[in-house]
Amino acid sequence: MSNAGSLDGFRVLDFTQGLCGPFCTMQLGDGGAEVIKVEPPAGDFARRMGPPFIGGESAVFLSLNRNKKSVVIDLESASGREMAARMAREADVVVEDFGPGGATTRGLDYAQLRAANPKLIYCSITPFGEEGPLRHLPGSELVVQAMAEYSASLGRIGDPPVRVGADIASLNTGTFAAQAILGGLFHRLRSGEGQRVAVSEFGALLHMRGIMWSSLSDPDDWYGFHLDHYIKPPDYGYQTKNGSFYFILRRGNSEDWDRLVMELGMEEALADSRFDDYGRAATSIGRHATEVKPIWEKAFAKRTREELVDLVKSIGGDAVPIMEYPELLAHPQVAALEVVAEIDHPTAGRLKTIRPVARLSDTPNSIRLAPPTLGQHTDEILRATGLTQGG
Amino acid sequence: MAKILEGIRVFDLTIAAVGPWATKLLGAMGADVIKVEAPGGDRLSHMVPPTIKGNSVLYISANHNKRMIELDLKKEADRAIALKIIEQSDVFVQNMRPGAVERLGLGYEVVAKVNPRMIYVAASAYGRTGPMAGEAGIDPTVQSFCGWCGITGPDHGRGEIYRHLAHLDLTTATTITQAVLQALIARERTGRGQRIEIEMLTAAMALQTTRLAEYFATGEQPAPLGSAAAATAPHQAFECQDQRYIAIGVERDEQWPGFCRALKLDELISDQRFATNPQRVAHRVELASMLAERFKTKPVAWWTIRLNHEQVPCGPFLTFAELRNHPQVLANGHIVEIDTPHWGSMHVDGLPWKFEGTPAGPIRAGGKPGEHAAEILAELGIVDDRGAGGSK
Repeated sequence: MSNAGSLDGFRVLDFTQGLCGPFCTMQLGDGGAEVIKVEPPAGDFARRMGPPFIGGESAVFLSLNRNKKSVVIDLESASGREMAARMAREADVVVEDFGPGGATTRGLDYAQLRAANPKLIYCSITPFGEEGPLRHLPGSELVVQAMAEYSASLGRIGDPPVRVGADIASLNTGTFAAQAILGGLFHRLRSGEGQRVAVSEFGALLHMRGIMWSSLSDPDDWYGFHLDHYIKPPDYGYQTKNGSFYFILRRGNSEDWDRLVMELGMEEALADSRFDDYGRAATSIGRHATEVKPIWEKAFAKRTREELVDLVKSIGGDAVPIMEYPELLAHPQVAALEVVAEIDHPTAGRLKTIRPVARLSDTPNSIRLAPPTLGQHTDEILRATGLTQGG
Repeated sequence: MAKILEGIRVFDLTIAAVGPWATKLLGAMGADVIKVEAPGGDRLSHMVPPTIKGNSVLYISANHNKRMIELDLKKEADRAIALKIIEQSDVFVQNMRPGAVERLGLGYEVVAKVNPRMIYVAASAYGRTGPMAGEAGIDPTVQSFCGWCGITGPDHGRGEIYRHLAHLDLTTATTITQAVLQALIARERTGRGQRIEIEMLTAAMALQTTRLAEYFATGEQPAPLGSAAAATAPHQAFECQDQRYIAIGVERDEQWPGFCRALKLDELISDQRFATNPQRVAHRVELASMLAERFKTKPVAWWTIRLNHEQVPCGPFLTFAELRNHPQVLANGHIVEIDTPHWGSMHVDGLPWKFEGTPAGPIRAGGKPGEHAAEILAELGIVDDRGAGGSK
């Protein structure tokens, strides 16, 4: 009993493809919901993202589709649309990213499905939002990042734009979609009412940069990391003898600060006003960080990253190595938190995957099903719902 | 009209950005969020610049839709008031260093004893086990640690930090909000509260799940690719005749012929090197160099018209000056302007979701530390016998 997930017993009918919708529904599946992934005969287009492919399956696809069952239904045919509509009658949640008008032409819009299933929670995901002049346009990860101004915090002015390497437009939106659905389900449990909810990728990323819109409203001074990232050079952290690290001093006292400076052979910093307040304005996020970086790096060049991390921590500061994936995944902290889980896949073998983030003590998230092969569960699901292909 | 979280009260003992942003989202869904701060307020976020009229924008921004009270939890009288609020709350969120809240006497066991239906969230940077247990972390230190700088940077260049230091804070926050909603659903069905643990590191790695999957598959560190995507092509920025860049993204095979037509490169449609996404990714360099030459022959506006006509994803690199008045942004309320009691008119992030049956919002500014103490205590029927002015 105590191992039931928070969403056990809820059925999600998932018409989405790519990254955003699938990340949303994977999280619902992690919570215990039964997620039925409806795919066209050619499959979710994310199945063709890559290389790399593992056992013929896209690594990207595999990372977004655990805890789901795959059913192939051709929504271009009348019988397929009828089958999907009948499945929607038994669903608690429908998630779609057909785009403007796409659900309506397939007979799967909210008004059509609600008639037979008034308690349904229906979630629409769009690139730019459902109002406004861009509502009919398709989006992509980079397009949304670019329009939401993300590249303004990366790279160098005048150089070609740089994007955030992670797929944030898709994945952050997927989380907001999951929130919207969960909110809808909670309200339904209390009121008995279903409803339609919606999120957009553009809206999600503009929300995630919100501190800056306020910072730009009427700031007292052009200073602070919610403003000056626009004109700062790229930040690589601090180079040491064997790699880079990053550090800040939030706490500390005079004695510790003096010791740090002496140990690093930076006595000149004691008389440099930019290092006042125990150096706070001179470390990574401080007012003088960029200009004094060469002073630090000259001292750091003789020491290893590990020595420097320990040294900064010893005076009450925060310091971490800047790591790439091989080092991160070998790190004992990642092991201690069991961030990487494993699951067996029918064709791709033993897969590594990032576990559900939140650990709920009473209704835990869990990984129960490997990402499905295309149509792996078509017969099972259609039989269980009393439907047959073509009927 | 009813709100999603109407009648749900949140005891908000959060600091900085991670915790506050999570409870702010709960507030926007209609929860009564009571932000409990040490006297003088949340020191960390109060000292973060920039400021507006002397108050940190981070603090203002992360605390919409809340009410503020100051309690000195090291004093018995204040702690007693906290426990009375806790009795009448549904959700408890804190993101102090592991161990700190226990020292204040408000660890999970204590809170659950006072209120067994409590949903208790403990968020931290690196968790409470392992060699880094208990270490503090903020957005840029977690960025540095979690691997994502290594996949971000100029094409095959040096990996760099995302300089708006909030994205991983807020990503963790959204994970908290989601987990609270899950636990509220569970409580509605089981009657029980529970404990939730969330680490920034895990949230940051989950946000990279597609990129970590590439690494798991190949065993090789993915290189930064400038503006380009790793698993789809063409999906990058190109410089146009007006020396501005256009972002384009062909993520689906069915978008490829339209893309070729828009660029008047119809001969590429039948070119076997580029027939499918995996082939285009495999030949990404030669494809990009052909396209780069083409895009330079006309300005961004021209390509935008043609790509829109073919329903191929494209867009310009916008700035805040353009975004704040953009008809798409205004029509959807992605950024909104609100009046605030202390800081004048302000642009703020819009709501990230639309609930048609139970609209969220409206967004309203929080307040200064302690501003709503009297109102909160009166409403909850808590007698403040600490003398005039409450906590000092």
